[in-house]
Amino acid sequence: MTPFLRRQRALADFTLAALARRKGKNIALIAVYSVVVFVLASAMFFAASLRFETTTVLEGAPEITVQKITLGRQDLIEGSVADEIAAIRGLTEAHPRLWGYYYDRINGANYTVMVPDDPEMMPDPGQIAIGEGIPRARGLEWAGAPVFLSRYEGDLKKFDVARTFSRDSALMTSDLMLMNEADFRDFFDIPEGRYTDVVARVRNPNEVATIVQKGSNALPQMRFVTRADIARTYQKLFDWREGLLTALAFAGILAFVIFAAEKASGLSAEEAREIGILKAVGWNTRDVIAMKMWEGGLISLAAFLIGTVAGFAHVFFFGAPLFAPILKGWAVIYPDFPLSPHVDGLQLLTLALLTTLPYIAATVVPIWRTASADPDAVMR
Amino acid sequence: MITLQSVTKTYNAGRPNAVTALDGIDLSIEGRAVTVLKGPSGSGKSSLLSVVACMARPSTGRVSLDGEVVSGLPEHFQTELRRVRFGFIFQRFNLVRGLTVLENVMLPAAPLGKPFAELRARAMDRIEALGLGPRAQTRIERLSGGEAQRAAIARALINDPPILIADEPTANLDSALSETFLQIVAEEKARGRTVIMSSHDPRVWGADCVDRVVSMRDGRIEDAPVQQEPQP
Ligand SMILES: Nc1ncnc2c1ncn2[C@@H]1O[C@H](COP(=O)(O)OP(=O)(O)OP(=O)(O)O)[C@@H](O)[C@H]1O
Ligand SMILES: [Mg+2]
Repeated sequence: MTPFLRRQRALADFTLAALARRKGKNIALIAVYSVVVFVLASAMFFAASLRFETTTVLEGAPEITVQKITLGRQDLIEGSVADEIAAIRGLTEAHPRLWGYYYDRINGANYTVMVPDDPEMMPDPGQIAIGEGIPRARGLEWAGAPVFLSRYEGDLKKFDVARTFSRDSALMTSDLMLMNEADFRDFFDIPEGRYTDVVARVRNPNEVATIVQKGSNALPQMRFVTRADIARTYQKLFDWREGLLTALAFAGILAFVIFAAEKASGLSAEEAREIGILKAVGWNTRDVIAMKMWEGGLISLAAFLIGTVAGFAHVFFFGAPLFAPILKGWAVIYPDFPLSPHVDGLQLLTLALLTTLPYIAATVVPIWRTASADPDAVMR
Repeated sequence: MITLQSVTKTYNAGRPNAVTALDGIDLSIEGRAVTVLKGPSGSGKSSLLSVVACMARPSTGRVSLDGEVVSGLPEHFQTELRRVRFGFIFQRFNLVRGLTVLENVMLPAAPLGKPFAELRARAMDRIEALGLGPRAQTRIERLSGGEAQRAAIARALINDPPILIADEPTANLDSALSETFLQIVAEEKARGRTVIMSSHDPRVWGADCVDRVVSMRDGRIEDAPVQQEPQP
C-alpha cells in the first residue's frame, strides 16, 4: 500500500470509529436519507421503464389502423373494407382485426381480448391463451385451471387455458386474452363479417402522410390512425404520469435539501472541539476535510445503495404498489403490473451524483472554516 | 532552544471584550531541561504554551525554534511542527470521547501513512509503558482522572517529539498520582526531552527534576529571564 492509501485507510478507520460512536443518530440519519433516495429512485425507474415499455409497444403497433366512424364514434367495420384498403397504392397486408376490452365483473379488472392474426397463435374453440397477469389477478392456483367468464348476472362461460404468455413485455401481454374467432363472435355478440378495425402496412414509411390523405379521400367515412398518432396518445398518457413522478421527485429533492441544509447550518460544539483536537495533535486541514469526506461519503453511499436497491425491488419486483394509485391506467390488471426491469447506467449515475454529492458538500463545507482555524481557538 | 521575542496575544482584538493574555513576553527556554511556568489563574500560562506549541499565533512578536522563526509559517508547516516537534498534554486532556484509549493514542500518527500494524504496535508500547495496558480498549469516558492523564501522555509521546508540553498536569491528580507524573517527567528528561509545564502546584515547582521556574502575572514575566537573547 502506498502512504496515500494507508493515510486514507487510517482516516477511514477513524471515521468508522467516529460513526459507530453515535450509532443511533447515524442509523436514523441513514434511514431518513435512504427513504428520500428510495422515492427518487422509484420515480426514476418507473418513468424510465414506462418509456421503455412505450417503445416496445410502439414497435409492435401497426403502421396504419383504419377505424369506421359512425356518428362520431368508432363502430364495427365490414371485412370487405380491408380489400378496398389493400387497393390503395402504397399499402400492403391489410387485414381486419377483432379485439376489445372485457370487464371482469368478478375481479373488477379489465382484460384486452383479441383474436390473433397469426393462425399459429389461434386457440382452438373453447380455449384461450392468456397473459400471466390474468391467472394472478384471478387467484388461479394451478396451471391450466379453467377460466370462467361472466358477462352479466347469472352468465358463466368456461374456457380452458391453452397457454400462458411470459412477461417479455408486461404491458403488452399481462392483461391479454387470445380467443378463437368463433368464440369471440359468440361471446361478444359480433355479427359475422364485422370487425373492430383494419390494420395495414406501408411500403415506404416516408409516404405515410400522402397515403393517409389518399385513403381519407377514397374512404371518407373511415379514420386512418398512424403509428405516430398512437405514439402521441401514449406520450400524452405517459406525460401526465411522468409529470406526477416529477412532482414526487421534486418533493423528494426538497426533503433532501432541507435535510442537507440542516446539516450544513451548523457544527455542534462537540464536533468543533473534536476538529480542534485533531488539528492540535497534528492533523492538517486536508486530513480533517478528507476525514469528513469519508464520513459524508460512507453515509451517502450507504443511503444510496439501500434506497436504490429498495427502489428497484419496489418498482420491478412488487410493481410499484406505492405509486399504483396514481399511475395505473386503462386496461391494467390490479394488483399486478410487473414492469420489465430496465435500468441504464447514466440514470444510475445521475441518481448517485444527485444524492451523494450535495450531502458530501453539506458535510464538508461547514467544517472548512473550523478546520482551517488555529486549534487553540477552536478547542476552547 | 525556544525563543520568544516581544510576544503578545490579544483575544477578540478590536472588540469590546478584547483580552490581552500575553503582554510583551521575552523568554528563552533551554532544550533538554524542565521549565515550569507558574502564576495565578488568568496570568497567561496556557496562552504562552499554545503560542510556543504553534497552536495559536502570537498577535505580535515572534517565536523561534532552534533559531528558526516558526510563528509566521503557513498553516501546513505549523501542523507538521505540532505533529513532529511537540507533544501536548492539555489542561483538560482533550481526549476524543467515544474512542478507546488505543484509538486516541494513535490519532497523531494516523495521517503519517505508516502501516496500521506498526502504528498500533507503537501505540501499545506507549500505553503499556505507562501501565495502561489493560485499559487500552476502554473508552475514554470510562477512565479515571489519572488514567485519562496517562492516556494523554501516551498520545503526546506517540510521534516521539523532542518537546513535551503539559498544561496544569497535576491539577486533577491526587498527591500520589502527581508524584508518579513527576517521575515520568524525570524519565523523559533523562531521555533527552525538553519539558515545559504550567502549574499552580508548589509540588511541581519544587520537584527535583525542574531546572527553572518562570513566574507570570497579567501576561508578563515577573522575574528577569536568566538568559536574554541578543537583539538582532
Ligand atoms: N480563546 C480565548 N478567547 C478569549 N479569551 C481568552 C481565550 N483564552 C484565554 N483567554 C483569556 O486570556 C487570559 C489568559 O488565559 P490563560 O488561559 O492563558 O491563563 P492561565 O494562566 O492558563 O489560567 P489558568 O491557570 O486558569 O489556566 C484569561 O483572562 C482568559 O480569560
Ligand atoms: Mg491555563
